[in-house]
Amino acid sequence: MSKPYILLIEDNADDIDLTRRAFEKNHIANDVVVVRDGAQACEFLFDEQRSIANGYPALILLDLNLPKVSGLEVLQRIRATEATRLLPTVILTSSKQDEDLIEGYRLGVNSYVRKPVDFNEFVEAVRQVGLYWLVLNEPPPSAGGGGM
Amino acid sequence: MADAALRPDLSLVLERITDGFFALDAQWRISYMNAQARKLLHARQDIVGEFWLDVFPKARGRLFEREYHRAMRDQRPVQFVEYSATAELWFEVKAYPSPDGLSVYFRDVSSRIEAQREVERTTRRQQALIDFGRAALAGASYDQTLLDGAELIRDMLEASVVDVYHFDRLTGTFTIARSLGWEMGAALDPGAPPLEHLSFVLRTGEPFVSSDLRIDPRARSLAVLEHAGVLSCVAMLIGTLHSPQGAIVCYHGHTRTFSVGDVRFVQSLAQSIAEFSSALESNRLMSEVLESMHDAFVAVDGDLRITYVNSRMANYWGMSVGEIIGTPLSTYTTTFESDEHVLGLYKEVLRERRAMTFENQNRGRWHETRLYPFGGGVAGYVRDITARKTEQQRVLELNAELERRVEERTTQLELANKELESFSYSVSHDLRAPLRAIDGFSQALLEDYGETLDRRARGYLDRVRQAAQRMADLIDALLRLSKVARVPMAHVAVDLSAIAAIVAADLNENDTARTVEVTIEPCLQTQGEPQLIQIVVANLLGNAWKFTRHTERPQVWVGKNSEGEFYVRDNGAGFDMSYASKLFGAFARLHSADEYEGTGIGLATVARIVHRHGGSIRAEGAVGQGAAFYFTL
Repeated sequence: MSKPYILLIEDNADDIDLTRRAFEKNHIANDVVVVRDGAQACEFLFDEQRSIANGYPALILLDLNLPKVSGLEVLQRIRATEATRLLPTVILTSSKQDEDLIEGYRLGVNSYVRKPVDFNEFVEAVRQVGLYWLVLNEPPPSAGGGGM
Repeated sequence: MADAALRPDLSLVLERITDGFFALDAQWRISYMNAQARKLLHARQDIVGEFWLDVFPKARGRLFEREYHRAMRDQRPVQFVEYSATAELWFEVKAYPSPDGLSVYFRDVSSRIEAQREVERTTRRQQALIDFGRAALAGASYDQTLLDGAELIRDMLEASVVDVYHFDRLTGTFTIARSLGWEMGAALDPGAPPLEHLSFVLRTGEPFVSSDLRIDPRARSLAVLEHAGVLSCVAMLIGTLHSPQGAIVCYHGHTRTFSVGDVRFVQSLAQSIAEFSSALESNRLMSEVLESMHDAFVAVDGDLRITYVNSRMANYWGMSVGEIIGTPLSTYTTTFESDEHVLGLYKEVLRERRAMTFENQNRGRWHETRLYPFGGGVAGYVRDITARKTEQQRVLELNAELERRVEERTTQLELANKELESFSYSVSHDLRAPLRAIDGFSQALLEDYGETLDRRARGYLDRVRQAAQRMADLIDALLRLSKVARVPMAHVAVDLSAIAAIVAADLNENDTARTVEVTIEPCLQTQGEPQLIQIVVANLLGNAWKFTRHTERPQVWVGKNSEGEFYVRDNGAGFDMSYASKLFGAFARLHSADEYEGTGIGLATVARIVHRHGGSIRAEGAVGQGAAFYFTL
């Protein structure tokens, strides 16, 4: 069983770098696996062979505005699939649209965080999310373990 | 028989019988007459031997002469009843002939005959009254009816003069309506008839009967009528004491004893005239009402035959009223209504005895028909509602057109809204990402290469970051503004005072460095979308807070003026009124960001919300003297 990792679903290279930097600054040592669009995310998550080998992510950070398959669609499929439906999933996005908030919670997202423009605030947000979901929060027994 | 008179025993018998008896010889000379006969015929004692027609000349040419001769000629007894002018009595006569002469027995049957004649007279009068009533009901005019009535009285009572008066209820006077027979004597002034008999019937409602006007104490002035050849009269009120319509009077040229039958006849005739007159009046009234209506009217009996139509209905059917009356309704409903259904509805009203209303279209016009059970039949009111229907149709079409347009607009708007939504979505999402990169990497530069940069370079990087963050604020403000347009509108009661109090409390809490004195008028009630109104109050109060920053004793007032406008007023920096029109545009700012921070979107948002509520907003102010914002919702 590999070390618990974070799946970052994000298409923007700048945001990927900034997020990684924020993890580093907060000394979050977990691996960060990045997929660059919704289709890749699905491939990654719903490939049973790969999942058996590497396990499921301990935390999914999901952007909404993704090429090919939208973030909300990915979320919907995560929740509809038996193997992934309990995975802690946090929407990390620029959008603060009511529709996105409502739809995200309706589809069963665990948390919804808006990326601040101010990098210091962004670092703080990433710190709190990491601390909460990877340390403070007890994950469901069947999820995030991988190889099951 | 002639010498029978000589036989004393026979004479004795004949003197005792109650019949009158006399005997004539073959030469028609009186040979004997008993005492009863002498008495009845007022005959002298010494008439034996005289020619009978010399003694009773009035018998000449009458039944007496003819029948006696027939008896002698045929030598057969005769029997007859005849009026004797000599005795002024009716006699029943039996005469027995012999070759020697004639024996005549007779007795007074006047009372029997009179009774019989009275019965005949009464019967005749009854019949006349019935005929009179029928004629009146058959539609004779009122004038004709009065004339007929007057003539009938004259004929039946053998009156010389008959007057029919009309009573005028307004003036309380009688005027002559019809007069018959005055030409026989000196004319009575018809303009000023003696009134005693008329006032009597008007006062009592009883018939006034006078057999001799010359001596009647109730009507002394009527004595003058003697000069007009009038000596007796009967007067009768037409109508009732409560509702007198007139009077009828018959005068006679001789004194006359009026029988109960006579008086009753006049009474009955007066009643007939009164009834006819009432019927005529109510008919006239009804007819007038029905003719004056704008509705067409038809009445049918239980067999659906037409008993009445007004001229409007007749016009509609294209026939005269006279042609229509009495014909079956089906003639018109099948010809004109082009709808058997209508006839069925008449039948239904007839059967159910229940009113109903229906509309139908016929020959290009719309009609509303109301049917009522009426008497044994149905009354129908038909109103032309084409104008109303056309109007309704026009309104319906207009509504449909409007709805279509609204739908079109809604679709367009929805489309535009969708576009705007996706636009704001991409603004919120896509514009922020690069800003975050600018900010993030500037910070990364500062952190990772800070020591190789000088103070100025670091200052520039700080300004890059500030600009990025300010742009992020602007984007958020713009998003809020666009959201204002898309929030669904609720119209509920909103307590503006309560909202202002909460907003003011928040502002005070976030700005503990100073105290702003806020005065909020209580109970400011309005209607609208609470979420949006909250934004209005927050923006206006927020501005007041901001622009009183440099005021020594900052004060803010929230209230409602006499024109019904709500206001938020402060004693802060104020503004130049010449720029007032620019206040409500997006990104419009009257102060530099260094002086007072802000996006320039707040008042644009406020104005948009106020306009969405159908209200208006205006600003008043002067530099250094505070600002006031007035708005309605």
